[in-house]
Amino acid sequence: METSHHHHLEIHNFSKLNAVKPQTKLLVIFLIILSIAFYKMETLNLFFIHVSSVIYLLIISKITFKTYIKRLSIDIPFVLFAFFLPFISKGSGKVAWEIMGLAVYETGLIEMRNLIIKITLCVTLAIILTATTSTVEIIYGMQKLKISPLLISIFSFAIRYIDVFIDELKRVKTSMKSRGYSEKGLKNLKPIAFASGAMLIRGYERGERVYNSMISRGFNGYLELHDREYISSNTIFLIGIFCLATTIFEQFVI
Amino acid sequence: MNNYLSIKNLSFEYPDGFKALDNISLNLAEKGRLGILGPNGAGKTTLLLHLNGILGKLNGDISLAGTPFTDENIKNIRKSVGLVFQDPDDQLFMPTVLEDVMFGPRNFGFSFDEAKDLALTALEKVKMLDFINKAPHHLSFGQKRKVAIASVLASKPDLIVLDEPSSNLDPASRRELIEILKTLNITIILVTHDLPMALEVCENSLILNNGKIKIIDSTYNILTNEKIMKENRLELPFGFALHHLED
Repeated sequence: METSHHHHLEIHNFSKLNAVKPQTKLLVIFLIILSIAFYKMETLNLFFIHVSSVIYLLIISKITFKTYIKRLSIDIPFVLFAFFLPFISKGSGKVAWEIMGLAVYETGLIEMRNLIIKITLCVTLAIILTATTSTVEIIYGMQKLKISPLLISIFSFAIRYIDVFIDELKRVKTSMKSRGYSEKGLKNLKPIAFASGAMLIRGYERGERVYNSMISRGFNGYLELHDREYISSNTIFLIGIFCLATTIFEQFVI
Repeated sequence: MNNYLSIKNLSFEYPDGFKALDNISLNLAEKGRLGILGPNGAGKTTLLLHLNGILGKLNGDISLAGTPFTDENIKNIRKSVGLVFQDPDDQLFMPTVLEDVMFGPRNFGFSFDEAKDLALTALEKVKMLDFINKAPHHLSFGQKRKVAIASVLASKPDLIVLDEPSSNLDPASRRELIEILKTLNITIILVTHDLPMALEVCENSLILNNGKIKIIDSTYNILTNEKIMKENRLELPFGFALHHLED
């Protein structure tokens, strides 16, 4: 029943970002993501502020290029979706060119470019956060930001039991393989469906047992985390504010 | 006080109609140690959950040190009765060992400093002081079990109830656990299939089968009663001999 440690996202490289208060990181990354999401991409020269902010954070996080590229692969489904946009997003109806009789719309091309850039930047920010902040620190940061205790509890349980579930899933798969199961072929999906069902029921039952153990220790809806020591960083905080200000400027002034 | 814990005519039926407990009555003296033995599905865990008021309204009466188990008293009862669950993964959920062990005391109204002192004392008792900043789910099974026990001891319970505490433990961890339990100067209820452990920790035991108490006697008398052991699907481990205790 021992849990494995290999799937944790935090990289212990002691970069400057690792030591920054988790609430600062959470808030700043949230602000930059918000700024990127709402940037209309009409004045592209101002967008370099967002791009350079993300690159700066990526550099000081000391994430290796290999790790970054590996984790960036989560981006792929969004990029694939973006490739459809030039064919379906008509906009003004102006056709840029035709591929095998299919019209490629100019608006769609711009939307594709914007989506890929925005998604890649946001995923990069998520990679930076998870690589420099442990799950405990994320929970701690959420608590410091006065996020609802109920939300924090749900989030912390989700994280806590990911390990347990992955281990259970591995055990189920091992037991299936030891009885001659092969994952290849569509007809072999049925046992996976049954195993998933069993996992769901187990998860529900475990949830009940955890709750029982919590109320037996007087649980009143609040998980208390202790204070931890971090450094403050005005630079990082200013980066978030600056990105937000740029987006506001683009939205309302230009 | 011979009836420190008193259970009278306790019955319980699950929503699917399965009768898990059938008219259970027993008394336990203060600082007494009682083993609950029996085959799988006998109702042992159901009985334990009742001792913490977890299964809702009682069909029967339970009292601890004269305090009846009622909705008004339930918080005090939960503070007085510490429940150590069978699977420590069900019990440990906070990010660090120290925070997990402090969870109970903080909920039961101890100040932060008091709760920290209680947690550190409990962790020292189970020899886990070196692990206070570790994540509980990264510990070995034996270490998790010790932390689970500390998490209950930290609330200073008067009665500690353990569900299969020696299951999945290696022999050395099992030995350490037995030694820890023997040093606890509080009332203990031990549900176990580990009969030698019951013999070592509990002076008295009962056998529960099909929701009914079949016998309450000294643990030694029960383990040497071949007929009752066989009837209740119990047997001593191969090679384990009781005769050396007869002197």
